[in-house]
Amino acid sequence: MVDKTDFYSRLNIGTGASEEAIKKAYRLAVRKAHPDVNKNVGATQLFLDIQEAYKILSDPGRKGAYDDGREPRDISSEILTATEFSQAGLLRMEEPQVIYSLLDIVSVKDEEQQSADLPLNIALVLDNSTSMKGKRLDFLRAATKEIINDLGEEDLISIISFNDRAKVLLPSQTKPSPVQLESALSDLFAEGGTEMFQGLEAGYEEIRKTPPLNYVNHIIMITDGHTYGDEENCIALANTAADQDIGISGLGIGIEWNDEFLDQLCALTGGQSLFIQDLEKVHHFLEHSIVSLKEAFSRRLTLQIIPAPGVKMLSAFRILPESLPLPHQEDFSLGILKKHQPHRVLFEFLVDPIPKKISQAVIASGEYLVKKKIRDRVIPFTLDRPVIPQSKDIEPPDKEIFKAISHLTFYRLQEKAQQDIASGHPGTAYQRLLNLSSHLMAKGEDSLAKIAMNEADYIKTHNNFSPTGKKELKYGTIRLMLPDKT
Amino acid sequence: MIKCKVCNNEEYQGVLFCAECGSQIAFVSEKRVNTLVYPTQIRGVNVDFTQTIPKKLMEESTFILYSTEREQVIDLPDQEEFTIGRIVEGQVITPDVDLNIYEAYDMGVSRLHATIRINREKNLFFVIDLGSANGSSVNGYEIPANSEVPLNHGDVLTLGKFNMKVILPQDMK
Repeated sequence: MVDKTDFYSRLNIGTGASEEAIKKAYRLAVRKAHPDVNKNVGATQLFLDIQEAYKILSDPGRKGAYDDGREPRDISSEILTATEFSQAGLLRMEEPQVIYSLLDIVSVKDEEQQSADLPLNIALVLDNSTSMKGKRLDFLRAATKEIINDLGEEDLISIISFNDRAKVLLPSQTKPSPVQLESALSDLFAEGGTEMFQGLEAGYEEIRKTPPLNYVNHIIMITDGHTYGDEENCIALANTAADQDIGISGLGIGIEWNDEFLDQLCALTGGQSLFIQDLEKVHHFLEHSIVSLKEAFSRRLTLQIIPAPGVKMLSAFRILPESLPLPHQEDFSLGILKKHQPHRVLFEFLVDPIPKKISQAVIASGEYLVKKKIRDRVIPFTLDRPVIPQSKDIEPPDKEIFKAISHLTFYRLQEKAQQDIASGHPGTAYQRLLNLSSHLMAKGEDSLAKIAMNEADYIKTHNNFSPTGKKELKYGTIRLMLPDKT
Repeated sequence: MIKCKVCNNEEYQGVLFCAECGSQIAFVSEKRVNTLVYPTQIRGVNVDFTQTIPKKLMEESTFILYSTEREQVIDLPDQEEFTIGRIVEGQVITPDVDLNIYEAYDMGVSRLHATIRINREKNLFFVIDLGSANGSSVNGYEIPANSEVPLNHGDVLTLGKFNMKVILPQDMK
């Protein structure tokens, strides 16, 4: 139960909450407790309590005085969670309903200042199968050199090449000298097939040479091909890696690589998978990966979410810091938690009719596990909503969640078009992509709209996606979710 | 369950966008907000066909059907409700709008194919398929027979295989 005498818990926030967060929490709390909505006994008092708390906390002077008089800080409140729902309440009705929830977790400043930056432990796993010959490997070499310049003194790096077998070009060590690096990369030439497991395992072993506890550990794999027959081993390794706080991110070059497999592999560890056509962007991808790992506040963030009885979780989609559809399960590896930046997941729940006597219904509960340098932190949360009469005018959802759901719809449409093709209905896929294109156009996403339209036209004549179109659409719609689409 | 006004797909209460066609289904006014953009606009061949429609017609009418393939405005009566089809000899009930001049038979238009209903007061427009042999669709989605389906500016109404674009002049201002 919340401590009713504490102004912070009245608003359901931590002591480190910013002015903005206080305002937001207040609005949320008021909406929940407003006597018009909440008919529970004592609701009016609750409403007044919230008003009182906000009056103090929103005034910097009075807030300071209040803070000084408070008991020592509860440190666990300095990582905050916030939720937004697609509807202010669940409807009192006889049939199931869907509700979306946007769940944020963010570390606040005070806590960050106490913790030093975590150094990186990176394994670069590079595909050097025959198909990488020429330009692709040249770009890879150049990009590798550049990002190694970005490493800090404590950071660890290893470089592994793989085809049918793996070769450790640079064993795990601190920033190599230019000569060392040159000599390591001179061993990078194209031959043989693609067996991802070989490369991943070698990368994993290199990282494991140093205890992972004090590092942000990550395998970055770059590939252009399909792996054959070792998918299961790769998945098993990804699971093991995740358990030891080692993330995996993958970059696919060209059109042949297996996007579904790489997505799955990376999602298991909370990493990111990306597709590029333009070789010059290899460098951007690597740089972006390193920079974003450097912003880590925690080694790893996991989320366990358990839907309440009568509630089914339909889907989960990570939106920040990198967008990625999450595998269908109740335990998620979410990668790292960055400093200042919220980690955001969009959930879709199907809720059965709610029993008459319940006025505040729990949708799901769960906890975040934030793994940090010194000790781990567990942040529990509950997703619940008041039950409101169906007849009432329902307010449309806030802009943020509305946008997230709209983008999720785009992703789903291209996914459905893929299923249409797979099940032999190119006509339906055609129509679906026309619609997708239309909606994208209406949202001002002209270039992606054009891609969708071209794909629709291609499907009309070829009854299948164009070689690049499928991936372009998929990663294009995923990228839409990011506020900054670079 | 709630029904998508564009493609009739059913979704759970609380869903915001139709999973089948992507149209927004919740928190939209009775009229849909985002009508589908016509493909040519996206393909980059931006044909402004409204230029070919007589100005007078654009100023005076509330509802225009335009055949994009023929680049012609279809002649409609000034009524709140009218039927569309094709006239054959000896037919007892004839449609108000005869599409014979557009090779309606080859296009699979039935004799009494659909009704257009106009509510001028509320500025609402509907099509009702009258149980035609080859069906009707709006923006490529088949519509059920004998039920009102709203029409919006920019929609493509298809009777059999005959395409018409819905133009609502007051929505263009």
